[in-house]
Amino acid sequence: MAEVIIRKLTKSFGDNTVVKSVSLKVEDGEFLVLLGPSGCGKSTILRLIAGLEDVTSGEILINGEIVNFVSPVKRNAAFVFQNYALYPHMTVRKNVAFPLETARLPKDEINKAIDEAARILELQQLLDRLPSQLSGGQRQRVALARAIVRKPVVFLMDEPLSNLDAQLRQQTRIELMELHQRLGVTTIYVTHDQIEAMTMGKRIAILKDGELQQVDTPSETYDKPANTFVARFMGAPPMNLIQGRIEAGVRQFTFNGDGILVTLNSSQMGLTDEVLSLQLNAAVCLGVRPEHVRISTDLSVEGVSGKVKFLEPTGADLFVTVSIGIQNVVVRCPPKTPMQIGSTVTIAFDMTHTHIFGADGWNLRRSN
Amino acid sequence: MSLKSEHTKELHDLALQNSRIRRTKSVIAYAVLGLFVFASVGPIIYIISPAFRESKSLFSYPPQWLPNSFYLGNFKFLLSETNYIRWGINTFIFATGVTVIALIIDTLAGYAFARMEFPGKKIIFGLVLATLMVPTAALLAPTYLLVRNLDDWTFGLIGLDTYGGLIIPMTVSPLGVFMMRQFIETLPKGLFEAARIDGASEWRIFTRIVLPLMKPAVVVLGIFVFMMQWANFLWPLVITTKDETRVLTVGIATLQGQFVTNWGVIAAATLMTLAPITLVFLFFQRWFVQASMAGALKQ
Repeated sequence: MAEVIIRKLTKSFGDNTVVKSVSLKVEDGEFLVLLGPSGCGKSTILRLIAGLEDVTSGEILINGEIVNFVSPVKRNAAFVFQNYALYPHMTVRKNVAFPLETARLPKDEINKAIDEAARILELQQLLDRLPSQLSGGQRQRVALARAIVRKPVVFLMDEPLSNLDAQLRQQTRIELMELHQRLGVTTIYVTHDQIEAMTMGKRIAILKDGELQQVDTPSETYDKPANTFVARFMGAPPMNLIQGRIEAGVRQFTFNGDGILVTLNSSQMGLTDEVLSLQLNAAVCLGVRPEHVRISTDLSVEGVSGKVKFLEPTGADLFVTVSIGIQNVVVRCPPKTPMQIGSTVTIAFDMTHTHIFGADGWNLRRSN
Repeated sequence: MSLKSEHTKELHDLALQNSRIRRTKSVIAYAVLGLFVFASVGPIIYIISPAFRESKSLFSYPPQWLPNSFYLGNFKFLLSETNYIRWGINTFIFATGVTVIALIIDTLAGYAFARMEFPGKKIIFGLVLATLMVPTAALLAPTYLLVRNLDDWTFGLIGLDTYGGLIIPMTVSPLGVFMMRQFIETLPKGLFEAARIDGASEWRIFTRIVLPLMKPAVVVLGIFVFMMQWANFLWPLVITTKDETRVLTVGIATLQGQFVTNWGVIAAATLMTLAPITLVFLFFQRWFVQASMAGALKQ
């Protein structure tokens, strides 16, 4: 087991910089998820830690030792590939034995290690099969067996579930978490699936265009997104972001977003008036998740009135899109809520869960 | 007649017309294919007949396609009066030697060009490919001089009338390097990376991962090279002067006299030369299909 630290890590391919000065500390035994859209540099960071790519600048430390120029095998990190990368001409047993044979371990030791890995991942019956004779889930388990058999100090997993169907993905997700609990090995897991990240990660590091946006626990990234990107990326449907300006009211600041007028109670929002005053008349965004918007057909209720534009029943919830001027606000309601497209409703925001994102897109709570 | 039955008749006529067009098309296709088969197989069949006949009956009129006797004198003459067996052994050593060495060079070079990073890789590969553009005839004289001068330097291992002189210049084949590189490039990159993470050296990756996976391509290249060298005429003609070092193609050519040529013996020699290579091809035929399919299938 090991602690992994990356300091100001940068990777360029020619003129294209894909990882931009990323710094991150992964605690010993932690399960950290690198999350972001395609092309954000998350897989590249993983490959840099593994030693499959050369670092352009910055440092990678595993257990306190700088490993920038250490060969992949000496880093003692196991890598689980998206497409499993099993050797197609070797049986499961040979695949799992390959790293141990390469290390020239004695035969009985190799057999013992294979048996143990096979037992943990329930591969005993499949040891003499070729990868082509296995299902996707079984192949993934073989790839994991090949990874754990070396007793690595770090697991690096590059979207290992993306080739599995939805049901198998959920099952394998649980198996992976059980494996992590059992072995306690530091794991860095790359995915673009926010559900995977939320359910698996002890912490999530969110990336965009090679830059780190936020590193936090799943609930913090969801409840207190660092910026508009994280706010939109985490959660389905994403957070409502309403464009507008902060104006000075009689006693309090107000948010004016093309017909949506909201009084900003700074203390409720975890902000101070000083912070809000700095954004006076600047173009900002008000962010609120669909579950933190109250909706009512009673027009006498205090709030902003608008028209129901869409209804999206998902079974567990009903998502109502309310149009107010040029802005749309999605509201989460209980599934059987009586709503009709075109009807007028009133919405109100739960201010304790409402965020203001400054002109630079960053959450004002962070600068508080 | 009802409208329905009229419509049925129309459909029937249309189907008949379509089947006639299809038949005509297939007749044309078979005729063209037949022509190609005749052009390629015809000469081989043509030599069977004179090989089993006496020379004096070869020029009878009308020409005899099928032998009316089973005369084995030509073969007997070939084996007893000429150096045919020696030429055969030489050809086998020559073709096998070139094949083995060429395969080693081509697979190693192909691996390096496909998966290793080194300075000047693109330029060197470009140069390798550029040599494909140079006609063999243009290289003949310089290669001959090189081999002749190497005699002293290599203590007679590579020189005129030596196996080294015959084999070594033919082992360099840019096409083989190109083929092997292309094949290795089709192998998933993840396999190489997984092996590197597993601690395998480049040599271990090459021998344990790459070679077993490219077996069909190696076999096909091997057969190609072997067949090409078995039938190679020009280089052995240039580099060998003695009967002891001649190969079959050159040996058969020497059977043609200035004034008299025993065509029956030449036909018998040609037939015997063709036989082993045909067997090799038939035996390894299935590999050709596998190799051609290899790139098409995803892992």
